[in-house]
Amino acid sequence: MEAAWFLYVSAILFAIGIYGLLTRRNMIRMLLSAEIIFNAALLAFLSLASLDAGYGPVGGAIVVIAISLSAAEVGVIVSIAIMMFRMRRALDVYELRKFKG
Amino acid sequence: MSPWSDPLSVVFILSSLMAVIAAILIVHHRSIVYSAFFLSILGVGNAILFTLLGFPIIALFHLSVYVGAAVTFILFSVVMLKEAPVVEPPVKALAVIAAGVLALIMMKIFSVFTAEPSFFLNYRDLTALLVTKYWFALIVAAIALVTTLIEAITLARREV
Repeated sequence: MEAAWFLYVSAILFAIGIYGLLTRRNMIRMLLSAEIIFNAALLAFLSLASLDAGYGPVGGAIVVIAISLSAAEVGVIVSIAIMMFRMRRALDVYELRKFKG
Repeated sequence: MSPWSDPLSVVFILSSLMAVIAAILIVHHRSIVYSAFFLSILGVGNAILFTLLGFPIIALFHLSVYVGAAVTFILFSVVMLKEAPVVEPPVKALAVIAAGVLALIMMKIFSVFTAEPSFFLNYRDLTALLVTKYWFALIVAAIALVTTLIEAITLARREV
């Protein structure tokens, strides 16, 4: 199985994520779309890392750290969304403008 | 030779379809709770693809940390939120064209990678690299994960 096929799947996932980001204003839906893009990026990264035995372990190490940081990022954004919902009763990202100091 | 005659090709086709259909459902499903659930399905599909590429350790890590922790965190947090109707921007046609063109350009770029993945990640190599070369990044990632734990506890205690 050629690496290009894995990269094609990654490109399709990336496009779906971009579509979701462009068409939604709900904060959680935008987060979920960004997570699709993150999954696509991981797949592309590992597909390219698997082509060379020298880069393979480095790619694996970077992806491990990226997944950990993504879990932290999800926590931060969900916390902001819950705080926003408690204060404004809405998840519309346009409402975030009203939080300016 | 038909791709259905090779078991690995069959696994690739099924897991890719699972990932793509889950991604479409994440964007299009009416309920956010189900969208978050489909994100975990996408994570499982991606983990199978990682295994096919020769990264079974990364696949296990993806399943345990990403699907098991991050997506579950979203899922349980979303249950706390009432789904308020949001006016979506009327750019669907434009977004479809943009996403389609983007996918075509990326596929054209990726079509040069015709080599087959011939790599299998040894966990000893991975841990040696993480401990010796990327130890600082590992500590930062661990601290970032602890902040997620603190966020979850703060949200559960309703201190904000």
